[in-house]
Amino acid sequence: MVGTPVLFIAIPLLAAFLIPLLGMIWKELVRIVPGLVLTYLLILAINLLNHVLVHGPIVEVIAGWVPPIGINLVFSAFSGFLVTLMIFLGLLVWIYSYRFKRNVEYEPALKYFLMLMMLITGSVGIVLTGDIFNMFVFIEITSISAYGLTAFYKGRNSAEASFKYVMMGSIASTFLLLAIMIIYSQLGTLNMADIARKIHLMNPTLKIVSYIFFVTALGIEAEIFPLNGWAPDAYAEAPGPVGAAFAGIVVKAAVYAIIRYTYTIFDLSSSFSFLIIIGMITLIIAETAAIRQEKLKRMLAYSSIGQMGLVLVAFGFGTKEGVFAALFLMLNHAIIKSLLFFSGSYLVYNSTEKNIKEVNGMSKFLPVTSLLFAIGAFAIVGLPPFAGFWSKLSVLTAAADSNMILIMVLVLMVSVVELVYYLRVVNRIYFFKKEADTKPHKPTFNALFVMLVLGAIILLIGFYPDAVTGMLHKASASLMDKGQYIHNVLSLK
Amino acid sequence: MDSTLFHYLDYAVYGTAILVMLIGFYGTMVKKSLLKIVISLSVIDSGLNLLIVTIGYYKGGTAPIFSPGFLKNFKDVSKMVDPIPQALVLTAIVIGFGVTAVALALVIRLYRHHGTLNIDEIKNLKW
Amino acid sequence: MEMIHIIFLIFLGGAVLTYFAGKVSKVLQDIFFLLSVLVPAYLFFANVGIGKEVTLTLGGITLVWGVNHFSWLFSLIVLGLGSMAAIYAIGYMKGKERKGYFYFNFILSIMAMMGILLSLDLVSFFVFWEIMTWSSYLMTVYNGHETQRIGIKYFVFSAIGAYAMLMAIVIVHHVAGSFMIGSMINFYPNMSLSLQIWIPILFLMAFGVKAALMPLHVWAPDAYSNAPMAYTSVFSGALSKMGIYGMVIVLVTMINQIPQGFWFREVIAWLGGITAVLGTLWAIKQDDAKKLLAYSSVAQLGYIIVGIAIGTELGMLAGLFLAVMHALFKGTLFMVTGAVEKQTGTTNFTEVTGLIRKMPWTFFAALFSIIALAGIPPLGGFVGKWMLYEALITSNHYLLVIVIFFSSTAAFLYCYKFLFGFFLGQEEKEWAHVKEAPVVMLVPMIIMSVLMFVLGTFPGLILKPINSGLVDLGYIDTFKHLWNTSIIFNAWGDHVVLQPILYYIIAIFVFFALFLTWKGHKTTRYVTTKDISSSGEVPAEDENLTFSVGFMQPFLRAVAPAMRRQIDKYYTGIADGLESLFEFMRRIYTGNGQTYAVYVIVFVVVVLLFKSVLF
Repeated sequence: MVGTPVLFIAIPLLAAFLIPLLGMIWKELVRIVPGLVLTYLLILAINLLNHVLVHGPIVEVIAGWVPPIGINLVFSAFSGFLVTLMIFLGLLVWIYSYRFKRNVEYEPALKYFLMLMMLITGSVGIVLTGDIFNMFVFIEITSISAYGLTAFYKGRNSAEASFKYVMMGSIASTFLLLAIMIIYSQLGTLNMADIARKIHLMNPTLKIVSYIFFVTALGIEAEIFPLNGWAPDAYAEAPGPVGAAFAGIVVKAAVYAIIRYTYTIFDLSSSFSFLIIIGMITLIIAETAAIRQEKLKRMLAYSSIGQMGLVLVAFGFGTKEGVFAALFLMLNHAIIKSLLFFSGSYLVYNSTEKNIKEVNGMSKFLPVTSLLFAIGAFAIVGLPPFAGFWSKLSVLTAAADSNMILIMVLVLMVSVVELVYYLRVVNRIYFFKKEADTKPHKPTFNALFVMLVLGAIILLIGFYPDAVTGMLHKASASLMDKGQYIHNVLSLK
Repeated sequence: MDSTLFHYLDYAVYGTAILVMLIGFYGTMVKKSLLKIVISLSVIDSGLNLLIVTIGYYKGGTAPIFSPGFLKNFKDVSKMVDPIPQALVLTAIVIGFGVTAVALALVIRLYRHHGTLNIDEIKNLKW
Repeated sequence: MEMIHIIFLIFLGGAVLTYFAGKVSKVLQDIFFLLSVLVPAYLFFANVGIGKEVTLTLGGITLVWGVNHFSWLFSLIVLGLGSMAAIYAIGYMKGKERKGYFYFNFILSIMAMMGILLSLDLVSFFVFWEIMTWSSYLMTVYNGHETQRIGIKYFVFSAIGAYAMLMAIVIVHHVAGSFMIGSMINFYPNMSLSLQIWIPILFLMAFGVKAALMPLHVWAPDAYSNAPMAYTSVFSGALSKMGIYGMVIVLVTMINQIPQGFWFREVIAWLGGITAVLGTLWAIKQDDAKKLLAYSSVAQLGYIIVGIAIGTELGMLAGLFLAVMHALFKGTLFMVTGAVEKQTGTTNFTEVTGLIRKMPWTFFAALFSIIALAGIPPLGGFVGKWMLYEALITSNHYLLVIVIFFSSTAAFLYCYKFLFGFFLGQEEKEWAHVKEAPVVMLVPMIIMSVLMFVLGTFPGLILKPINSGLVDLGYIDTFKHLWNTSIIFNAWGDHVVLQPILYYIIAIFVFFALFLTWKGHKTTRYVTTKDISSSGEVPAEDENLTFSVGFMQPFLRAVAPAMRRQIDKYYTGIADGLESLFEFMRRIYTGNGQTYAVYVIVFVVVVLLFKSVLF
């Protein structure tokens, strides 16, 4: 045993609350400590993931209460993969936002990193926990820190975005709690594995109602249309790295929750087609909304929403290939969209409006950033030889294997729309004349480093997808095997 | 007579909880003032908490507390109401408090930025 | 490490190295560029045997690359023209900005085309197809701001085609259980009828876009004319042939296996014919050499498509021969245009005239390619066209013969316009300082002109590889009885029967030309355009009296009805309509937080109401 999953929650949570105290000792510590914590967690996560891929999942019991009574954490290949991904992105976000804009000063940096650590704690907790109420708590931790991070900048419209987020987040938590209580009143348990074992005993109508409430509540975080009104605003107004964190960490956690409910807990066969329908609507609306977008980060936000829709569609196939494709898509999206947010926020660094116009001609001033943005744009629309191609191919293969011809047609048509708006931005960066009043800002060394790492990963996966596919196959197998999950959790003594 | 009254009362508590929630939803969707919306969100929370506690309660139950006297009379253990919903509600109340605090802080900032509390006029971010 | 892998690594590494070498030294960059095109070309022809196959497993998918006779033929076009254009590009790009960008995309395009040809499985085929698309797209937008709409139009068409192909690929994988092209072909007769119809249509959409088949051709004229000329010669000469290559695979190897395939080939042949006519008519109308050649490319691709869609042995021979010839002469013509552009700064016929004395070698190349293009003996175009006519007649496509004949006759008009517009006619004072293009640009043009002559005289040189390719595709060996397939070939199968007579005619013609030149050498003098005051009226200085102004007005008036309906406008209309629709749709996000809350409630209520339907 190389470590236990509970560290993923305990350490960052502890760090989050220690940051203000440490800041009293030496102010720089508020910036350094999160990085140390995340580095440690990343090493731990990789170790555990390696262990899990070989030896099978680790189930951690909290405080000696054996499931189904106590809370347990499950570090399987599936959840472990997501945790590793989140912590990796968290680390990159930390490197990138070290002394980023307002973070140069002590006071904002303190709040920023505190909330960032909370955000990561919450998201990792959502993925690891095996208890639905505990998941509710983690979702709330994530949400509250996300509200805070959205409203991080003063003077912009960030408070407006954050308020919308709060409104919808509260409604989400209401529905989540309702759904949890319906399950509890019917089955008398909150443990996921136990619920999964007993779910067939439930009143069918109540089962469907609770599922709908779950999807609604989590769908608000997972940006499903029409529950995603907050998302473009929040992405656009939050600091650039936070946008990456939303796309790479928070949304992934919410999608994980939906998938866990659909695949493991509920036994509704039609919930898969439901996922396809809502995912498809989300994809179409979001991508078409992006095409005439005038603000860069808003465009990226819509693109992110659309990709999440596609992920849900892929999960909705309900086959092993579908899950594999969806996980691949989640991985690629996390990496590529982070790169786009990272490089994009330097392309419009000094602007308050963040208009797409302002990236005009930036390639002359920020050559590396522009190139990386272009690589990201090419990758996200799925052009080979970049990473996005393989996930798109696997999504389509999965669709064909499930005989979803209409889905394929729609996905590909939407891809064309996506292509158009990304190409327009890239063309602006490279071929347009610079607007007179834009002031390019050279990226700092750490930001550049993060972007280069992400670009290298995109190329690596593009040229050598085997680097990740083995792990993804194991992760998808671990998600699909519901009986094993129940057994692993409930056989603990 | 007693039992039927309690029977109806049971439903009345459920109904009240749901009614409180609906009032909250109504406020969230119709009221224009940011403060009223925040209050409505709290009202939803309160209704929900009431509902959850009600689910855990059954007629004639006692508080789920292990006291020395309790253990002597072992029969009473089966009379304890389910403690879990109450524990959950405690957590939910705390979370609801946190969210309300964040929301109010945001309302203050919105008022400073826009000079109004009318949600219809706070639409700088759209499309 | 297999040789094929090494070749691709050289391409890839060369592209990156070339890009970064520009930061060190311009000369180094040029050298790297040439090496990374020429070395793989040499290695390919010297070391890669036909029939060789290498495999590579990536992401659980087996990628198989290999060479057969048919793809070897196209490799000849790609690497041959690619090498020539690469040498030319050194001269063309001298002193231009964004050299690294140009070289990088140039190498990647060549690599992608080679990849397409060598791919034996559909995934690597698609991967290289997409790399080819985006690298050529990046070339299309090389000239910057104004070209972005054109570039996006090209990319959107390509993407629609490519995605159609991707769909077909995954469906094939689903039903046939393999990504191999071979197993797709073998499995094709066992597919359900609807798949038998849809799979080729989806593939042909992709190939039709690249081969500029009507109605998917609208991107081509703009894209060809806006890319840098050094690249356009590859773009039009080789890259469009990838569409032809794919079409041959689909039309010949797949569709021939079912009886209904006849209709496919008929429809494609007619589309090709219409493309040829429309392309020709539009080409005549152009005043800009780039545009003229671009439309002419569309028309020429139409001929090639007709040839392969007919699908008889002679038709295939004609189509593929024309494909090779088209790569040669259109490649050269674009180079000529590039040379003129480089030396004068414009490619407009109404501005540039009388360059024959300034750029004689360029004129020589242009003359040869125009002769080949127009299909006049003794250059290669003639043989190809002859075979095409004969194939059409022997397969009873009389109406198509008329269509092709009309288009190829009308092609004389633009051929003449190109030649006369740039090189003949009176010399403008403005161009008195113009010099001949640099040697590095001339050499490829001259080499290719000579090749055109050689292939016109000894068509057997290229018919032999074509024949081997056809045998690979399942045709009977035509080469041993070539003289039976077409009356134009003599018994050795190497020469054209009519050729000796023609040489006499040409000799006499040349003799008279020389005689007249010598005789009139003393008594004539060169006049400029404006030097015609002897006719009684002095033209104003700003009056444009160039030959090409208002060229062929009566003819264009006659065919105007055929040209009035532009397909392009329909596409633009659709695109604009969709964008307005999307613009309208995104107003769902009203910006009002309360509305969003209402959406949530409405979502829950609606899903609850319809839960019996949904669940």
